[in-house]
Amino acid sequence: MILSGTFTFEGPRARVWDILQDPDVLAKALPGTKTLTKVGDDRYQGVMKVSVGPMSAAEFNITVELKDKVEPEKFSMVIDGKGGVGFTKGTATIVLDEQPGPITVMTYTSDVQIGGKIAAVGQRLLESVGKMMTKQALEALNRELKARLGSG
Amino acid sequence: MPAAPPYLRARVPRNEDARLLTGRALFVDDVQLPGMLHVAFVRSEHAHGRITSIDASAARLRPGVHAVYTAADLGDYLKPGPILVSPPPIPNLVFHGCTQLPLAKDKVRHVGEPIAMIVADSRYVAEDAIRDVVVEIAPIDAVVDLEKGLAADAPLIHEHLTSNLAAHVIQRKGNYASAKAKADIIVKRRFHYDRGVSAAIENRAVVVDWNPKSEEMTIWDTTQAPIPIRNGLAAMLGLLESQVNVIAPFVGGGFGPKIMMFYPEELLLPWAAMRLNRPLKWTEDRQENFYATTQERGQVHDAEMALTKDGRILGVHDVFLFDTGAYDPYGLTIPINSQCTLIGPYDIPDYESEFTAVFTNKTIVTPVRGAGRQHGVFVSERLLDLAARELGIDRVEIRKRNLIGPDKFPVNHEIMFQDSAPLIYDSGDYLPTLEQAAEIIGYEQFIREEQPRLRAEGRHVGVGVACYVEGTGIGPYEGARVTIEPSGKVRCATGVGTQGQGHFTVFAQLVADVLGVNVVDVKVVTGDTREFHWGTGTFASRGAVVAGSACHAAASNVREKVLNLASVLLNVPPDRLELSGGRVFDTDDPQRGMSLGELSGKANPLRGAVRPGTEPGLESTAYFGPDRGSTASGVHAIIVEVDPETATVEIKRYLVVHDCGTIINPMLVEGQIHGGVAHGIGNAFYEKLVYDEQGQLLNASFMDYLLPTATDVPMIETAHRETPSPYNVVGLKGVGEAGCIPTGAVFAQAVEDALAGSGVEITEIPLSPNRLFELIEAARK
Repeated sequence: MILSGTFTFEGPRARVWDILQDPDVLAKALPGTKTLTKVGDDRYQGVMKVSVGPMSAAEFNITVELKDKVEPEKFSMVIDGKGGVGFTKGTATIVLDEQPGPITVMTYTSDVQIGGKIAAVGQRLLESVGKMMTKQALEALNRELKARLGSG
Repeated sequence: MPAAPPYLRARVPRNEDARLLTGRALFVDDVQLPGMLHVAFVRSEHAHGRITSIDASAARLRPGVHAVYTAADLGDYLKPGPILVSPPPIPNLVFHGCTQLPLAKDKVRHVGEPIAMIVADSRYVAEDAIRDVVVEIAPIDAVVDLEKGLAADAPLIHEHLTSNLAAHVIQRKGNYASAKAKADIIVKRRFHYDRGVSAAIENRAVVVDWNPKSEEMTIWDTTQAPIPIRNGLAAMLGLLESQVNVIAPFVGGGFGPKIMMFYPEELLLPWAAMRLNRPLKWTEDRQENFYATTQERGQVHDAEMALTKDGRILGVHDVFLFDTGAYDPYGLTIPINSQCTLIGPYDIPDYESEFTAVFTNKTIVTPVRGAGRQHGVFVSERLLDLAARELGIDRVEIRKRNLIGPDKFPVNHEIMFQDSAPLIYDSGDYLPTLEQAAEIIGYEQFIREEQPRLRAEGRHVGVGVACYVEGTGIGPYEGARVTIEPSGKVRCATGVGTQGQGHFTVFAQLVADVLGVNVVDVKVVTGDTREFHWGTGTFASRGAVVAGSACHAAASNVREKVLNLASVLLNVPPDRLELSGGRVFDTDDPQRGMSLGELSGKANPLRGAVRPGTEPGLESTAYFGPDRGSTASGVHAIIVEVDPETATVEIKRYLVVHDCGTIINPMLVEGQIHGGVAHGIGNAFYEKLVYDEQGQLLNASFMDYLLPTATDVPMIETAHRETPSPYNVVGLKGVGEAGCIPTGAVFAQAVEDALAGSGVEITEIPLSPNRLFELIEAARK
């Protein structure tokens, strides 16, 4: 499954970068995230709950590794998730471009392979669920960004 | 209304229906035993990968779990399964047999391949424990596409081989090159046929009861082949065959995948039951069924037909790829059926067919109702349609010009059939069948009047007419034991399993006519190895032909015994005796006689002597083993209406004119045809398994995998013809698969006809509204 798009953050690139590297912020912003902890340099582990069609609240243990970091311009993520109803494996690339305002335009592309029961039963809905979760996450991150900017 | 003798050709109500319809029939999942434990399987989520570690320790500690077995725990029992069907003796045949381990050891080769077996107090606990087993798999790129699978750089599924080629076979009749040289036209296309599931209502199930005191094992199994299962399991478990009893009780649909033998679950439960000394049960859930029960139909054909300008077929050349899935335990039955069935009822002097079987990272392929015959029929029927259009000849007319005449039988096609015997048609009368179908569907009138009238109204209606020939009733043999009991009732035991075909009725009809008893007094027993333990199974449309002929033979022997004994007791020559109404009597004085029950008592006396050369009782066991199968045939005709905006297809009429030799029970023949056509309609327009490029099955549930429902299956019209087979006494031919064999071909032809002028050409099955819409759109451009 390929998900890609752009999203505009209402703030400067350096602050967007900080938010994207903060596991506590990400844990709050990513829908269904129960825990997300930094376990090493650029390595995070956590537990996510995802609902896709008939699969409600399927838990995944996920590992995210950040790679190819060029602060504050771009980074890649290697994602590995395993759960009782399947697995997910893939990469995502995020590019941040600061524009006058200042605003930051994020361009993201991800290529994620999904297998097991969740692929077999939820396939019709995976893409729309993926898009919806991405949108919710990015909007939550933007709200956090604005809150931080507003408070100083 | 009860049927009266003679029962042959009578619409005898089914003996088994009272039990089935009132919920009193035993299915495997009904078996409940004291102390029974339940089994679930950890299955691969990856289509292709190397197992790097399996940690079952947490699962073993879960309360309620009795055992967890992985490949490492199986010891000597960890062996690849047997090759079930050896390839026929075809010159230069290449076959690489690769079969599955009961639990994957180093590699997984398809999603759903079993990796660990969990035994627990309940299925709930066992399912929970699946998540406790940590399996690490390093994924390898999957082979999904057949052509890419044969490329030099394709990942190897079986690493001891040098490619993913599973088999390569060429069969020839005559010389196609010379046919091509003489031809006025060559019609050439690529055809695709894709995968589906068999979708039996009842999934697979196994219950095992090992009695350590009597050292006997009873296995209830949804198999179509209880006797070979018993023999194979006994050998693998180190038991005598007589220590193992396999019962295939009522089974909710077989359709082929249940003739696949020694599935991992079937091998593992008996083994584990002997170690745990507890009865075990496993019932497949629907999701597992999509991965773990065999499937069929992936083939790609590059075919051409050489014809004269007046539409006579000179030759056919076909090269195809066959998707055998991750392993090939069933050998080459399917692609050889495709090769042989392509010829159909037509006189094709020169024929060359070459196939390559390809391993893929998908569920194992074994026969599903039709078993490759669909593909052959689809290719030849579509090529004839295209030739007819190109030559400006009517579609029915071009078929008539090529049919094999009734004086040509037996017809030797000089190639090998799936039963390792030459493909010889025993009998047939094809032209009247085609004429009758065209007449009933009103072909001429539809083409000349109705279609133009409806087209003028802007409606898109089309007609299709397709022929087929079906090899049925192959050997090696089946047997039956018929016994007249002192009650006067007759018991008929045979080895074939039953999955809804009506064996309890058709076998009873054959026996009742021979012995002159009421059909409801013949109690048929099938699929229980304690009752009858010689035989092979229910497949290849052979139950009625082969087991039916054995029942007939055993009943005829018993009739001889009745006549001989009654002749002595009544002091009447045997040729003056008649059997009727459950009695044997003197035709000169019908009052002089006795009931068969009384005679049975006299045949088994408590005093006196059973004379040398005779046997006690009125009982006989007989076998029937034909050298080769008998050839059924028929014609399907269909009228459809297509909505070009939504690409939905409405089937207005569906007709099957069928010739399965002597008909035992027309009602059951119609039932088989109705079910088969429904299966075929699903195959043609609804059912398709969708795999992604990593071998993940994307529609493994009935939410996304569409089956035709009552609203999608039309009323099916039938007409029967009888050209008896010379290969058995009654003249029987098989009918179990006939309904679904030409369905895709006739559907495609009619849809194309409905869209005539649009440029839409259909060279693939299954279609769907979505796919048809794409074809209509593509033709517009």
